[in-house]
Amino acid sequence: MSGSDVDRRPPLAGAGGRNLESRRLEDPPVPPPRITPEHEPPADPGEREAHWTHDPAVRDTTPAVGTAGQPASWGRAQEGADVALARPEWGDAQWSYLFKGDTVYAPTLPAEGQVPEAARAARAPDEIGTVQGPMIKPAVWTWEIPVYFWTGGIAAGASFVALACDLAGDPRSARVCRAVALGALAPSPALLIMDLGRPARFLNMLRIFKPRSPMNTGAWALSLFGALGSGAVAADLLGAPRAARGLGAANAVVGGYLGSYTGVLLASTAVPLWARSRLFLGPIFVATAAATGAAACRLTLVARGLPVGHPTREALGTVEMGAMAAELGLSLVNERRLGPTGDHLEHGRAGRLFKVAKAAVYGGLALRLVRRRLGPCAHHAASAAYLGAGLCFRWAWIEAGRTSAGDHDQVARMARSEFGESDRVRRLIHRRTRSLHRPRRAARAPRGAARAYAEAVRRTSLFVERIGAELGMCPSGNGGWCSSAAAPIYRLSKRLRFYTPDRSRPYPVGASPCA
Amino acid sequence: MSTTTAAPTELAVHQVDARRMGFFTDTTTCIGCKACEVACKQWNDLPSDGAQFETGSYDHTGSLGASTWRHVRFVEMLDPAAGGPGSGHPGDLDLVQWAADGDGEGSGPGAGAGVGGPASTGVLGDNRWLFMSDVCKHCTNAGCLDACPTGALVRTEFETVIVQQDVCNGCGYCVPACPFGVIDRAPTDGRAAKCTLCYDRMEDGLEPACAKSCPTDSIQFGPYEELVDIAQRRVATLHERGETGAYLYGAGDEPGEELAGGLGAFFLLTQPPERYGLPAQAQSPVQENVAPATVAAISAGLLAAAGVALAFVSAAHGQGRAARLRRRRRW
Repeated sequence: MSGSDVDRRPPLAGAGGRNLESRRLEDPPVPPPRITPEHEPPADPGEREAHWTHDPAVRDTTPAVGTAGQPASWGRAQEGADVALARPEWGDAQWSYLFKGDTVYAPTLPAEGQVPEAARAARAPDEIGTVQGPMIKPAVWTWEIPVYFWTGGIAAGASFVALACDLAGDPRSARVCRAVALGALAPSPALLIMDLGRPARFLNMLRIFKPRSPMNTGAWALSLFGALGSGAVAADLLGAPRAARGLGAANAVVGGYLGSYTGVLLASTAVPLWARSRLFLGPIFVATAAATGAAACRLTLVARGLPVGHPTREALGTVEMGAMAAELGLSLVNERRLGPTGDHLEHGRAGRLFKVAKAAVYGGLALRLVRRRLGPCAHHAASAAYLGAGLCFRWAWIEAGRTSAGDHDQVARMARSEFGESDRVRRLIHRRTRSLHRPRRAARAPRGAARAYAEAVRRTSLFVERIGAELGMCPSGNGGWCSSAAAPIYRLSKRLRFYTPDRSRPYPVGASPCA
Repeated sequence: MSTTTAAPTELAVHQVDARRMGFFTDTTTCIGCKACEVACKQWNDLPSDGAQFETGSYDHTGSLGASTWRHVRFVEMLDPAAGGPGSGHPGDLDLVQWAADGDGEGSGPGAGAGVGGPASTGVLGDNRWLFMSDVCKHCTNAGCLDACPTGALVRTEFETVIVQQDVCNGCGYCVPACPFGVIDRAPTDGRAAKCTLCYDRMEDGLEPACAKSCPTDSIQFGPYEELVDIAQRRVATLHERGETGAYLYGAGDEPGEELAGGLGAFFLLTQPPERYGLPAQAQSPVQENVAPATVAAISAGLLAAAGVALAFVSAAHGQGRAARLRRRRRW
């Protein structure tokens, strides 16, 4: 280890081994160096820490995996330098095998099935002892992500509405709705980039196409949506209604994914609340997207002077109400299904946000019922309430996921039980101590059928990835396609120095150049 | 025998000449010295996590994170029946009281520490410590690798999983996608970081720093098949000596029962996995959920678009007076 240290780093000034080597035991001891006031370590512990650990004159602190802001360099400082005492093929690792054959460490040969049986006994389902967390890490995302979920949802919903306006024969409103979609989309990339740990490297999202990563497909959907939406609005401005209509229709298709993938993204994590809502998160997010998109379009169209009683205005009112009601219904069903896992949607900050959102929806529905008496202003207030409710819903889901990941007991419990199955014991306790109308488990498909279904979908998705490989898109050690479509973006990213492949040798060995 | 290579479900991550190297961490020989933690921090030049004082445990280095790639977990096993102050939950432990009681009887908390220590004497009774040096598991079906949108996380020729620090843009998606809570985003650096199984050392034929420094060889490094073989014999040996609770976490399982397809870094444990903060079952959340969730989401998207279109078309067609009347009655 020390030998390779020398290879990696220059010897420290004045602290090298040479002085020690030349000294002999019988020599009189060297008095300690005199410390002048300017060489005194700083009095403040924080400064001292910084001085000792970060001052290159005191200690070379080049990290093995790259200095902050710099590329990694896993090569040696001197190319081809030998590592002292190292034997090839991990030969030095063999030295440290204290327990190898000739000791009493592990002489017994296991019986057939003994080892798996022991593991099964310890990991058997439905028995859980003390949980000493932490189990998993909560998401590190900040406020930008729920706000992006909201704006992206509005954009997706507005693209649906634009298509519907075209189909219903109202091209003027369709124009406005396409503009609303683009306008709502505009802040989304900025929000996403702000949330990155390395914002300058945002283009790396598009350096591969990776069907299995929802965030990657979402980034592609967002880019495509932006391109199509801008094209449609440009066609509108240039007076090409047919092109605008076609681009708008394509945009609505992409919007269907843009509005829903965020739910898939959350569901594909180890967080119990999100993972257990996997079949509901997408639909819930789509419903919110449709409602908020319709509400935003409605308010914009009214501001642009759409008259009362116009069919588009009527239809938008129906859509926002229906979608919000669907969202509420799905949320309630999901909450009942989740059982104790769903408690994180009821308590704390997430609980408060969820309550505000629900109150806004109920308020909006009530305002809509009395709109004949109060006039159109009540309906506008209802639309605004739906918009606010959408934001609160998104925020509550992110916030609840954070507390759910911190609930060690529940994380352990989800791992113990078969996926999707609820915890009977805790449920019983809950039912007894809390209230009579505690959630009841929704009917489930038989376990075999559910498993076969899951396996079928998984295989399909892997097949999709395999197509990419068969088509010659190089598989790059990460499950993604490094497609020719992504290559120019990757090159641009490189030219702009967002990506700095400054390595002494490519790694991993044998991987494609796009890895 | 478990699978020794990446499962065929992982596309393109198994290289032709790949050779799986791994860790076998035997918790029964761990003495909790934290030398591996220090060696890891030194070799990889990881910053300090700052001084922290955990209540409820003597383990003051918390958990694995962006700057802690090896972490020795202290598991305080408190037996309430033996008169210990706690009820068995680490949160209930009053360490000061525990130490004071122990001193009164002439034995500190360390007296009962360790497997096979002088138990059942003094106030401590069967109270004891377990130690476990935790690390990234280098899963066959790695959740972080599946989630990574930039392809920064890759599998190497040693079948380990590493973050390419020059590609990672710090999106943070790998953090909740890890079923073991290993990978994290460094707040100062902005990128995700985790154990690389000392990729730089391995390329030079050196064993990882933690395994090198381990004084009791609790951390063993080597070719995966060899390690699994030793580990299985160790389990059988411990069973023979009466430690029947010993089992392997992450290797040697029957097909279909593996944790995340089999762990490159696996453990020998003597208590249920939750004691050590490990899940009893694990799978890459992405491989498990992304397909059904996408099917549900896209169907919902189609339904929503159809619903919106229907509302508009019916509103356009229902402009007549009769239709409006009908609608009013419905309200």
